[in-house]
Amino acid sequence: MKRKKRAQVPIRLNVLFFFVFLLFSALILRLGVVQIVYGEDYRREVERTQDEVVSTPVPRGKIYDRFGQVIVDNTPQKAITYTRSKTTQPEEILAVARKLARYIDIPDAEKKVTERDMKDYWILTHPKEAKQKVNEQERKKLADQGWTQKEIDKKVYEWTLERITKQDLAQISKSELEVIAIMHEMQSGYALTPQTVKSKGVTDREYAVVSEHLSELPGVNTTVDWDRKYVYDKTFRSVLGSVTEEDEGVPRERLDYFLARDYSRNDRVGKSYLEMQYEEVLHGKKAKMKNVVDKSGNVVSVEPLYPGEPGKDLVLTIDAELQQQVEQIIEQEILATKRKGRSPLLDRAFVVMMNPKTGEVLAMAGKLLQDGKFVDFAIGNITSAYAMGSAVKGATVLTGFQTGVLHPNTYIKDEPLYIKDLEKKSWKTMGTINELTALKQSSNVYMFKTAIAIGGGVYRPHQPLHLNPAAFTTMRHYFSQFGLGVKTGIDLPNELSGFQGQSKLPGFLLDLAIGQYDMYTPMQMAQYVSTIANGGYRMKPLLVKEIREPSADGKEPGRVIKEFEPVVLNRVDMKTEYIERVREGFRRVMQEPGGTAYSYFANAPYKPAGKTGTAEAFYDGPIQSRRQASTYNLTLVGYAPYNNPEVSFAVVVPWATQGNSDGINNRIGRRILDAYFELKMKRTAAQPDEATGTVQP
Amino acid sequence: MDHDRLSRSKLDYHLLFLLFLLAIVSAIAIHSAEPMLPEKLQNVNFASKQLQWYAIGAVVIALTMIIDYDRLFQIAWYLYGFGMLLLLGLELNVPGSVTIKGATSWYRLPGGNFQPSELMKIFMIIVLGRIIVNHREKYPEPTIKDDFKLLGKIAAAVLPPLFLLAKQPDMGMSMVFLAITSTLVLVSGIRWRIIFGIVFSGVAVVASVVFIYFYFPDFFHRYIIEEDYQLNRFYGWLAPYEYSTDQGFQLIRSLMAIGSGELYGKGLGHLQVYLPEAHTDFIFGVIAEQFGFVGSSIVISLFFLLIYRFVHIALESNDLYGSYLCAGVAGMITFQVFQNIGMTIGLLPITGLPLPFISYGGSSLATYMLAIGLVLNVHSRTKKFMFASEE
Repeated sequence: MKRKKRAQVPIRLNVLFFFVFLLFSALILRLGVVQIVYGEDYRREVERTQDEVVSTPVPRGKIYDRFGQVIVDNTPQKAITYTRSKTTQPEEILAVARKLARYIDIPDAEKKVTERDMKDYWILTHPKEAKQKVNEQERKKLADQGWTQKEIDKKVYEWTLERITKQDLAQISKSELEVIAIMHEMQSGYALTPQTVKSKGVTDREYAVVSEHLSELPGVNTTVDWDRKYVYDKTFRSVLGSVTEEDEGVPRERLDYFLARDYSRNDRVGKSYLEMQYEEVLHGKKAKMKNVVDKSGNVVSVEPLYPGEPGKDLVLTIDAELQQQVEQIIEQEILATKRKGRSPLLDRAFVVMMNPKTGEVLAMAGKLLQDGKFVDFAIGNITSAYAMGSAVKGATVLTGFQTGVLHPNTYIKDEPLYIKDLEKKSWKTMGTINELTALKQSSNVYMFKTAIAIGGGVYRPHQPLHLNPAAFTTMRHYFSQFGLGVKTGIDLPNELSGFQGQSKLPGFLLDLAIGQYDMYTPMQMAQYVSTIANGGYRMKPLLVKEIREPSADGKEPGRVIKEFEPVVLNRVDMKTEYIERVREGFRRVMQEPGGTAYSYFANAPYKPAGKTGTAEAFYDGPIQSRRQASTYNLTLVGYAPYNNPEVSFAVVVPWATQGNSDGINNRIGRRILDAYFELKMKRTAAQPDEATGTVQP
Repeated sequence: MDHDRLSRSKLDYHLLFLLFLLAIVSAIAIHSAEPMLPEKLQNVNFASKQLQWYAIGAVVIALTMIIDYDRLFQIAWYLYGFGMLLLLGLELNVPGSVTIKGATSWYRLPGGNFQPSELMKIFMIIVLGRIIVNHREKYPEPTIKDDFKLLGKIAAAVLPPLFLLAKQPDMGMSMVFLAITSTLVLVSGIRWRIIFGIVFSGVAVVASVVFIYFYFPDFFHRYIIEEDYQLNRFYGWLAPYEYSTDQGFQLIRSLMAIGSGELYGKGLGHLQVYLPEAHTDFIFGVIAEQFGFVGSSIVISLFFLLIYRFVHIALESNDLYGSYLCAGVAGMITFQVFQNIGMTIGLLPITGLPLPFISYGGSSLATYMLAIGLVLNVHSRTKKFMFASEE
């Protein structure tokens, strides 16, 4: 059913339409007033108020060591920048560049200028001759082909560029090269983003002269930029990371992330490790000001919009002095071993020292020998993994306890094993021993038999061995409670969790038990031994102790904003009694005659405990021809003093020898502990309150 | 010849052609606004996305046209109830509701945020049309009392959603609802006396509020508007150079952009003045700066022709309900165009209403397409007789 209309509806609709007409007329009328009557005024206003918002970089946060020593600093650097608008024409840039060339000196201008730059400049400065390069007929031809004006212009420009001869370019004088070099910088990058025209070596005079003449140099500005200064040079450098250069700007792949956080494209950001991990803390907020200009373009006043905030400071857990000494020790010991001439593959060594109770990393050093020179490879402590050998036997014994196949004081016979025809044995036959002796003398067979028991197998000489593959999972589960084979949780990106062997053949379980199957990172070894030293609490390794406000006077550290408390990742679910047994075994390694590290640590006054490791490994380094060559990794983990550990450490020297004996792991271990305790003594003597390891506010 | 007219295609090609032109204007304007957007939006090709939305809108139109609008008449209250449920959900902050700049007006959907009040606008037209038609059939010869009764019914339907909108808060959308209501009250045939009475009392209320503001500021701030930020809208509108509020800043920018376009504009791609929300709320500024008075007048004329078609279809329709639907849509779009363009040239205070069909935005465009679908629906089901008989 359709409803009939009443006569009044058309009238009302017409009234409605009349209203619509009135409203739209009002719009057109008002639009006419704004655009035609006042249009010129608005246009002038637009032309004169090109309010320039200038961002001034703020210093990035500094990085201190645990005692307040500056590790990473900023050095102010004067810079001259140029910001072009979206409509800036090349002619305008040329005019500014010419003026600027009078005030500043660009060293090696000819090296910075490309041929293309020179050609562009030539076209700009020789418009008539440039036009003759492409004649009318050619232009007409393009137009006849139905090209748009834009396409024609582009093509003509291309042809002109091609046809510029060497003679043409010879017209450009040497002094003009500087102008071209300046233009080159001015035109790079993005519109509305300040581009650095000159930053390195701006003299005070240049800075002052340009500042004075800013009004005649539209778009030019003088600022102070900050350069990152790594005070200890290469020390610890790979963990500190680095920031991008200005021409790199923010990393492409994370552009959106940074732009959303009010970064400019050419902002310098942390691109690796600590600088990257703590970018949000270290990066301040740029100061913003508006240049208010009058009708003729002179800057009348500078209006601050936002005062800016310098980046916050990081206080690391690292002891810079200890770190430096450890790095020296590593370098010296690598060279000492290399000098013997029997370690062709040795090129690196790692040391991690931490406080086992808090997880604070005191030193984290890694060195890599490249072409006869050492480079910093501290980051290798978390990004590379190696077979660690017998150093993991503490975890094997504890796994034996926990699975019930071992009990404190279980005696097992150390004898050569024959799995079918394969002989597997310890470095010497030890006879019937308990777990303390097994650790002290580093018995392989004790660990093999433990692993066989965990795998539910029965060993019969010269017979094949059958083991339950689930034993791999069981052992790895308990190993992971110490941090072996899982991420340690350190506050750095790109941490490796190690490598797991894939095959589950019985023989590999035996290898796993003596640290020759799965590979672990040096940081994992440090966490593992710290967990044992700390009575079963696995601590998250900490690199950053505090975040502080920037220092007000550059000397006294600023207010603490955030303090990083020790984090317990897990408590190993084993009886304290079991852990005590392993600790006793570790003590005997270093302090009882017959212990594998006794000769190196017997006279150490600080009573250390630990475990050595020698892993048969396959070379996996940079020398291609030697890949897979058989070699030995030397490791050492430990802590001191044995009864109340305050420092734990891991030393890893991959591919150290070809089978000959060399105590590089033990020598490094001894020397770093000596260094630690000497420094401690020195500090206690000098300033008692600093020895606690906190910065006094 | 009669036969010819009766079997003529039922699509209104005038309207579709206007829509086509608006789509082109929209794509050009949005594309030219892109360089001005904040850097984080730089990588989005809004123009092509807008055209995709137009394509989706075309499907919406087609779907709307399948069912006879008489069916909408029947299910009007269900639609209304559904819309109210959605608005209530926002009021109760159910999971999935989104708050932007303090206003809880959106739901998160896979394709983007969806604003239920957009849909509710259309439902409102459908429901108010039904109320008026029913009333008219019940009282063919209405007395003045009947007229008031109708007014009461309309108010009862409009106030609940209006209340929820005001609480979001969404001042712009509330005003659209008022505009729709006013239009339908006007065409409902309520006596002029009553309409004038309403207009007069409205003017009186505004006048007294202004009076109180100037002479009893304490009372004003205590009982009428407590928060200053609500007044900023008006300060920024009336004295943009003295009050550097957000709205004042936006108005100055917008006036500079539009004014400096002058008669012929600066040409495509030549934008000097930075405009906030250039691709949405201030898209008209982008058009006026580039194409000047001539170009922007053409755009306004397009809208005018569009409204003309709506009114024409309303007049042509021999069904009362169809006429009301068209009138409601005309009122809604007229108000939004007037409000949006008016705010960019300082004629009205600034609210966050987009320019229909031109501003970038999927859910609002879909709504307008729905409205177009309604009008086309009415048109396609209008029977034409050579000798139409008036009763």
